[in-house]
Amino acid sequence: MNWLIFAPEIYFLAVAAIFLILSVMRPNSRRDFSMALFLAALGMVVTLSTIRLEGSLIHGAYRIDLFSQVFKGLLSLGFFLVVCLCSNLTGIREKQHPEFYLLLATCTLGMMLLVSSLELLTMYVALELASYSLYALVPLRSGGQQMEAGIKYFLTGIATSALMLFGLASLFAATQTTLISELAMKLPGLLTSPMAFIGLLLTLCGFFFKLALFPFHVWAPGVYQGAANQVTAFVATATKVTAVAMLIRLVSMSGGSTSLAHVLIALAIISMTYGNLVALVQKDFKRLLAYSAIAHAGYALLGVLSMNETGYAASVFYAGAYFSMTFICFLVAVKVASDGRNLAIVELAGLHRRSPLLAMALMVGVFSLGGIPPTIGFTGKFLVFTAAMQRGYFLLVLIAMINVVVSLYFYVQVVKAAFLMEPDEELPSIHLSAPATILTVVMMVVIVVSGIYPRYLFQLAAAAVRALH
Amino acid sequence: MSIELAYFPYLSGILLSCVIGILIILFIPRERETLVKWVSLAFSGIALAFSIYVYCAYDRTLGGLQFVEKLPWVESLGINYFNGADGFNLPLILLTGIVHFTGVLTMWELRGRVKEFFAFAFVLVLGVFGFFMSMDLFFLFVWFDVSLFPMYPLIAIWGTTRKEYGALKLFLHVLAGSALVLPGIIYLAVASGLHTFDIVALMQPGALTPGQQKFAFFLFYIGFGILAGVWPFHTWSPIGHVAAPTSVSMIHAGVLMKVGAFGILRVAIFLCPLGWEYWAPVMAVLATIGILYGVFVGLTQTDLKYVVAFSSVSHMGIVGLGLSTVTAEGLNGAVFQMFAHGIMTALLFSSLGYIYDKTHTKLIPELGGMSRVMPVASGYFIVAALAGMGVPGFAGFWAEVTVFISALKVYPVLGTLAICALVLSALYMLRVVQKAFYGQRNERYAHLPDVSFSLGLPRMILVAAMVLFGLFPRLMLDLIQTAVIPFMGGLPR
Repeated sequence: MNWLIFAPEIYFLAVAAIFLILSVMRPNSRRDFSMALFLAALGMVVTLSTIRLEGSLIHGAYRIDLFSQVFKGLLSLGFFLVVCLCSNLTGIREKQHPEFYLLLATCTLGMMLLVSSLELLTMYVALELASYSLYALVPLRSGGQQMEAGIKYFLTGIATSALMLFGLASLFAATQTTLISELAMKLPGLLTSPMAFIGLLLTLCGFFFKLALFPFHVWAPGVYQGAANQVTAFVATATKVTAVAMLIRLVSMSGGSTSLAHVLIALAIISMTYGNLVALVQKDFKRLLAYSAIAHAGYALLGVLSMNETGYAASVFYAGAYFSMTFICFLVAVKVASDGRNLAIVELAGLHRRSPLLAMALMVGVFSLGGIPPTIGFTGKFLVFTAAMQRGYFLLVLIAMINVVVSLYFYVQVVKAAFLMEPDEELPSIHLSAPATILTVVMMVVIVVSGIYPRYLFQLAAAAVRALH
Repeated sequence: MSIELAYFPYLSGILLSCVIGILIILFIPRERETLVKWVSLAFSGIALAFSIYVYCAYDRTLGGLQFVEKLPWVESLGINYFNGADGFNLPLILLTGIVHFTGVLTMWELRGRVKEFFAFAFVLVLGVFGFFMSMDLFFLFVWFDVSLFPMYPLIAIWGTTRKEYGALKLFLHVLAGSALVLPGIIYLAVASGLHTFDIVALMQPGALTPGQQKFAFFLFYIGFGILAGVWPFHTWSPIGHVAAPTSVSMIHAGVLMKVGAFGILRVAIFLCPLGWEYWAPVMAVLATIGILYGVFVGLTQTDLKYVVAFSSVSHMGIVGLGLSTVTAEGLNGAVFQMFAHGIMTALLFSSLGYIYDKTHTKLIPELGGMSRVMPVASGYFIVAALAGMGVPGFAGFWAEVTVFISALKVYPVLGTLAICALVLSALYMLRVVQKAFYGQRNERYAHLPDVSFSLGLPRMILVAAMVLFGLFPRLMLDLIQTAVIPFMGGLPR
């Protein structure tokens, strides 16, 4: 067996082990941070170097292909970027910093295992590894509503796990196999039977929960608001990307069932409408992003429910797009709320004078979320809409577009706060360190350039999707 | 990817000068306000020079699409970077160049957040230029939205009357329009079975069935019509115009509303000609109502800017009427009217902007006798008002005559109504001129200086353009004709 193909997973296991050792030593937040930053950067290199590898382990239960490696690359990037935000980790008590990095690493590891697993039980175990790390990460914050958020997250999470287990059991009962490769052969013919259909649907629920798709969204606002800003950034970027990957994998296995598509269409419409309407009245920036995430789960689902190659590729692209634009919003939030508090939208007032760069970055990120060209958010939407249109879902696209216009109202409120409103008292300007400036500029350039020139990213997404079969 | 360029890419040059302008402005420290203005002027000047060159160098005997630049962009989706110039878009490219250049000059005295203002204005104009020259639906839509989103900060930060309300209303209205356009564009690409966004490829007869054309035309007509100020979707436009700072009003009324009208022409009419014939009576009725409505509401306004704003609704109705005739003359007149109205409105807002800057009022009862206080500044406004009435000698006259002649042939009743409205429009313009510029002089403003030569420069350019194309309309009509004749000839009848 060639262990090299397993390198990213082994590496992140080692990272977790290092932080386990550090957690029993005397706390030193500078050391922890520089260690984490170095290890994260190296992790990204390790993961990206395996991107072209292919192979399969444990009798086909675990497969390394372009699809899994693209997502592992995104996850390692997510880990690195979130660690970049931790230079001033004030939201978490200093002596718990090693635990924070440890849980972040195990969560990344769990998700990496998840995107490669081709067997239902492996998938479930990997999912639980990622989930339990998150259950512990959320209440790690010092002071505030973190306990409420943590318990809410945990209870809804295990309830969904139970549903998912039931779904897995039904799938097994209907098909007598847990291997996805065999499921993909048997399932298309069996989906007319209620047991297989409900089994598949309940299995998907586990990932709907991660994606915060209606009706599994209830945890999102509380967790976004209650968890530390960095943890929220991780939840909002990395876990969403994984959820999209798994939905693509499971839905593509069903072989294009119409009844499944109808269920997904209904969920997508409700999710984006609900998310956007509730976001209209939000006052807290992270809470607003939570509701916008619920809406974006709906948009991302458009590609999945189209059940064609363009659709899956569009969803992969959308996941990457959502990852970058959400991250830039959290970058601004972390820098503005430097003491780790929750950021109200009105606190963005005067940002254009306090830090023109951050104000500009916020505008790019928020307009990208709103789907205004030339940003990656627009291109992502354009791709998923094209895929849905290819299946003839004209009304669905129209509803999604109307939703986009509704959402612009609250995105504009954020821009208005940053560019127009003046704070009651004069606030000091925000000093950005040189690496932070570079990171911000790079993220802005990525969002705009890959928005206007999506050719290579889309090709990569399409190639990744082709590796599914 | 193969790049074949037989000539300098002038059209991309226009876009590039805007992009470089933006980048340079972003790197200038915000205290260096004069430098920002000079850089804006220089790069808007380059863009203007390119657009004049393209306008003059276009080979009228050859016709068709010239200065073509085509690069495959995303092959798997059929997206190309595809620019071209023809008789339809050249007048508008020239218009954009002129209005932006004069707009920069008009805002020369701007104080406060200068850097951001000129950067946003450049983004807006970049979008407008790109929209006019793009022959690919994907890029067309990208440029469309690029030209729309800067309107929000431009109005909300630097505007005047009810600026935040006006900005938000405008922003949400025009983007609601784009919410209809985007599904329409994707629908065309997918429904045609060609899976391309190339306008030339989609134009070939038989690409779309009549039913598809009727359906898509409706989407585009409403979607772009909101931006074109088609009644009853115009409500954002007077409020937005009034709230915007001077040069933004100029660009907005002068150019951005034409983006909407041109979208109807380039996307709806070009790609769905059968839908055009089907919906033409509806367009004609809405356009005539727009003309009448603009005139009657304009008659009762006390705010000068509202008067001008409603005259825009009315004049854009003339464009709509021309488009709805489904005749060569009608199209010709409509395109010429887009140009003429753009220059004229820019001049109206520009001269009004000067008066407002000095007097800090734009209420007609508070002004009065302005022509004795600032004769030159008032002169510009009066000239523009005369042009707005359709007095011969200005470009607008020819445009309106062409549209009305064709409208009378096709829709006798509506055409007559529209001409009556035009007579009334003379009444309301003269009322404004009489009350604000003649009559009792308001002593409060008696000491104010008249417009200086350098500040008058943008207005002079606009007057010159108006008179030039008014005295020699064939400079433009012949050019538009080179595109209209083949297009109408190729229509499936």
